[in-house]
Amino acid sequence: MDADLEETLGTQAHAQGTPMSGSTIVTDLVGVLTTASSLFIVATGLTLVFGALRLINIAHGSFYMYGAFLATTLVARVPHVGFWVALVVSPLVVALLGIAVEVLVLRRLYRREHLTQLLATFALLLIFADVALRLWGKGVRGISPPSAVQGSFAVGGAAVPRYDVVILAVAVAVGVGLWFLLTRTRLGWRIRAVVDDPELLSASGTNVPLILTGVFALGAFLAGLSGVVIAPQQAVQPGMDAQIIVAAFIVAVIGGLGSIVGAAVGSLVIGIVQTLGAVWAPSWASTFMYVLMILVLAVRPWGLFGTPER
Amino acid sequence: MMKKRPVLAIASAAALAMTLSACGAADSSGGTSGGTVTVGESTSLSGSIANLGQTGLQGLQLAVSDINAKGGLLGKKVKVVSADDNITPATGAANARSMITKDHAVALFGPVASSIASAEEQIAAQYKVPIFFHTSNDVSLMTKTFTPYAFQDVPNTTMEPRAVADYLAQKVGGKKITIATFAPDYSFGHDTVDGFLQALKALHVNYQLVKQEFPPLGASDISSYLSALVSAHPQYVFNAQYGGDLVAFTKQASSYGFFNHTKVIAMYAYAPLAALGNAAPAGAIGFDRAPFWAINAPGMSAFVKSYQKKYGKYPTEWAILAYASAQEWAYGVKKAGSFDATKVSKALSGASVPSIIGSMKIRSCDHQAEVPEYVGTVSGSGDSSYGGIHLYDQPVFVAPFDKIALTCSEATAQQP
Amino acid sequence: MTVSNGLPSGASTVERAPDLTSAAPTARSRPWLQALVPVALVAVMAVLGLVLQADPLLTLDEVLALVVFATATNLLLGGGGLVSFGQAVFYGVGAYTVALGWLHWQLGFWVTFFLAPFVGAALAIPIGLVALRARRLYFALSTLAFSELANQLAESRYDFTKGANGVFGPFVPSSLTDPVGGYFFLLAVTVVSLLLMWKVHHSPFGLVLRSIRENRERMQALGVNVYRHQLVVFVVSGFFCSLAGAMFVVYSQSAYPELLDWTTSGAPVFMSVIGGMGVFLGPAVGAFIYQFGHDELVRYVDDWQLVLGGVLLLIVMFWPDGLLGTYARARWGSRRRRGARDEEDADA
Repeated sequence: MDADLEETLGTQAHAQGTPMSGSTIVTDLVGVLTTASSLFIVATGLTLVFGALRLINIAHGSFYMYGAFLATTLVARVPHVGFWVALVVSPLVVALLGIAVEVLVLRRLYRREHLTQLLATFALLLIFADVALRLWGKGVRGISPPSAVQGSFAVGGAAVPRYDVVILAVAVAVGVGLWFLLTRTRLGWRIRAVVDDPELLSASGTNVPLILTGVFALGAFLAGLSGVVIAPQQAVQPGMDAQIIVAAFIVAVIGGLGSIVGAAVGSLVIGIVQTLGAVWAPSWASTFMYVLMILVLAVRPWGLFGTPER
Repeated sequence: MMKKRPVLAIASAAALAMTLSACGAADSSGGTSGGTVTVGESTSLSGSIANLGQTGLQGLQLAVSDINAKGGLLGKKVKVVSADDNITPATGAANARSMITKDHAVALFGPVASSIASAEEQIAAQYKVPIFFHTSNDVSLMTKTFTPYAFQDVPNTTMEPRAVADYLAQKVGGKKITIATFAPDYSFGHDTVDGFLQALKALHVNYQLVKQEFPPLGASDISSYLSALVSAHPQYVFNAQYGGDLVAFTKQASSYGFFNHTKVIAMYAYAPLAALGNAAPAGAIGFDRAPFWAINAPGMSAFVKSYQKKYGKYPTEWAILAYASAQEWAYGVKKAGSFDATKVSKALSGASVPSIIGSMKIRSCDHQAEVPEYVGTVSGSGDSSYGGIHLYDQPVFVAPFDKIALTCSEATAQQP
Repeated sequence: MTVSNGLPSGASTVERAPDLTSAAPTARSRPWLQALVPVALVAVMAVLGLVLQADPLLTLDEVLALVVFATATNLLLGGGGLVSFGQAVFYGVGAYTVALGWLHWQLGFWVTFFLAPFVGAALAIPIGLVALRARRLYFALSTLAFSELANQLAESRYDFTKGANGVFGPFVPSSLTDPVGGYFFLLAVTVVSLLLMWKVHHSPFGLVLRSIRENRERMQALGVNVYRHQLVVFVVSGFFCSLAGAMFVVYSQSAYPELLDWTTSGAPVFMSVIGGMGVFLGPAVGAFIYQFGHDELVRYVDDWQLVLGGVLLLIVMFWPDGLLGTYARARWGSRRRRGARDEEDADA
């Protein structure tokens, strides 16, 4: 770290005891945005798939884990630029996996009840978990952020990790990209039409199954992308699939399943609750997001931005 | 009529078939018959603490193959069976039970997590099999739930934080300091943190506690807990994480520039320091239960060589202590002239066992091995003789057992 | 931006499998046969208790707890069409009632064992009131949130629950830690519980519940209070899930947070699907297969989850009625010509 920064931090250390100093606010804000950004990328894939296919994909957590594991492999194999390669390649590989899952399994289950779909994707989660153990072992893996974005810079006396900015940038890019795709392109129009009236769309000559496969692949892509993005920050290990899927559910359900704006709001809310919870009531922090989800479901069972189920 | 039997019959048939098959599996050859005896290790071989369990198991396997190379024990070859407990007490307990009843294990070696250790301790006592804890170090295993069949070969949760507090007190003297704590949310984390703070009080260190965080054990994402820690600006952080969790913490915290103004006190043992490489936090205070590079006991260098040859790495403290535990068991068996748990227990009680970490006295009041704890400051430069790993600056503080352990009267007062 | 309207190809209409539970015309015409099989089954189980060694008996202990757990979960699933991923809350609370009663208030085992199902039932009232406001998927996700909340509370309320460590202790009387004694006690509890649940299932209440599952709107139009009926069955299920948790303690002599986890909630759902959720004893058979599969496979293959996932996937894709369900459906199909449907309607 450079000497200037160390000095800034040194003087800051005297200001401790005043809990809401400027640097504290910056640190908390960065914490909120980082948590929210990584949650948004993973939850938006889940909610997108639900919107078009009306199914909750529990194996979304597996896609996320595979993205992260693939990133650790690529970083080890490709010197220097491994991470940037992984940022593109891992999500694509995971998207291919998604296509296989949709074509071989889910396509046969669209007309079946929700429980069947839930259990099928849960079964896939179990299968993918053991396959991952075979491929990557049981230990913890981790990668460092690429050298260009290591370390931190000072804002208002607080150190802001450079890599956190990368996460935020990816989240914003994903949000803007999806908005553009869904509202400004013909393909986006078709995706929304699949949801509204598949028969009509089919009659107008659109290949509906292809669109469903495409949406599912896009969801898997986003899960894989979020796995790569969090890999330099978190421990990459077996079990992260089941952990993230619950968090992604909560974000998607609070925001309203199927709503991308909802996923954004939901992830911000959870980011705030998690970060401030850890500051103000550390021993209760882990429970807040569940309480929040239960409250939302009790008052507005279809979530903040969702539409009631018919 | 028979062909119209209702569907329920399938259930009984299935149940019967499966129970009988389970029954058949139990009928394996006896552990003490023939030319072999079996010892079992159920430990955590997956998840965030897998490295502890895996290298511990390697230490045990190496010890057993060394025992066999010297002709075995009482004329019998020793065999190791192992199982993964998935960090779940019920699985660990079931593994221990099946090792005893199905594999006829004559000794058990300990798991990683204290919760699982306490479950296995009761099972070992129930079936009268000696159990040696070389990784889990909960002091209550030897106090509140003590059984004569259990042995503890690590600095326990009273000793380890006391040793670290001693070192810190020497460093800060009478200065006022601010401290935060960060520990996994289970008994080891809570006990170690409580033990550390109590030890600081007993040593009259003038400290102010500014933040306490207990993230869930094995959580992948600790970022919200970490940013809360960073924004509290403590001068010292006592961190009771270890292994992969500690490595992840260190990497993330250093992206905040955290180590520039905060001294982290944590289990920076060989494995995490090796994993961190040049990212090792210089100036942080590390502690290690058995650093191979700081122990000058006969047999250590030979052990390090054969471990390297077999596994291609330097041994972790988990491997070293597991090896020493196996040496202890073998010593007890030889002295007793029997594999019988009661006789082995009696033979070991109060004995001084020669081991790769030096002569290890087994205190008879609580079966705690009289082992020290090693504390030091993480070096700013890599050690060329160990492949550039940042080890501790010299001199390493070796906290003496008598100064950090409970006295025998304190320990026995808590025993059932 | 919202992409949430409508349904592709009518995916959310619930399939209407024939109600296999009451489709047993053979049994109705010969009631003695209906009684014979359960009695024979209990006799077999009793004999096993006398001849088996300690180790398989302990596995059977766990299976018995799971049989009650799965059957109680299936009251919701097969009976009410309610997919709950939160029954582990009650299972765990049952276990914790025994463990914490001993830890904090020195309550004896028999007191807490008797108390456990009532604690579960009491807890099911507020949870049910909230969760049942949501339907289908949202109900499943809401119960999942309750499961995770309970898990996190058990982990973080360290002073009360001993956190992730769990509670271990000698709180089970020695007459039950004896493998044979414990087994016969659990067998007796299992038999009584299954009889009671059978009663619930075949009561007019159970029938109304199944009709709600078949056609909620019609029952509402007939003036049936759907919410109240579902709440009652949720409470009954909570009662027996908690009892199952207390039974588990006899086997494990411990309570720990994973018992409350959503993956634990998933287990009885799997068991019901494997055995067949349309048949009363389906979940029980599923529990046998699941636990023995687990205990035996885990010794020989590392990839237990792979096998479980594969089996589950095949069952939900190709054999959605489960083992007993498929068997019953085949029989039912062959009797269709004889007007089994009319008979069933007359039953209503």
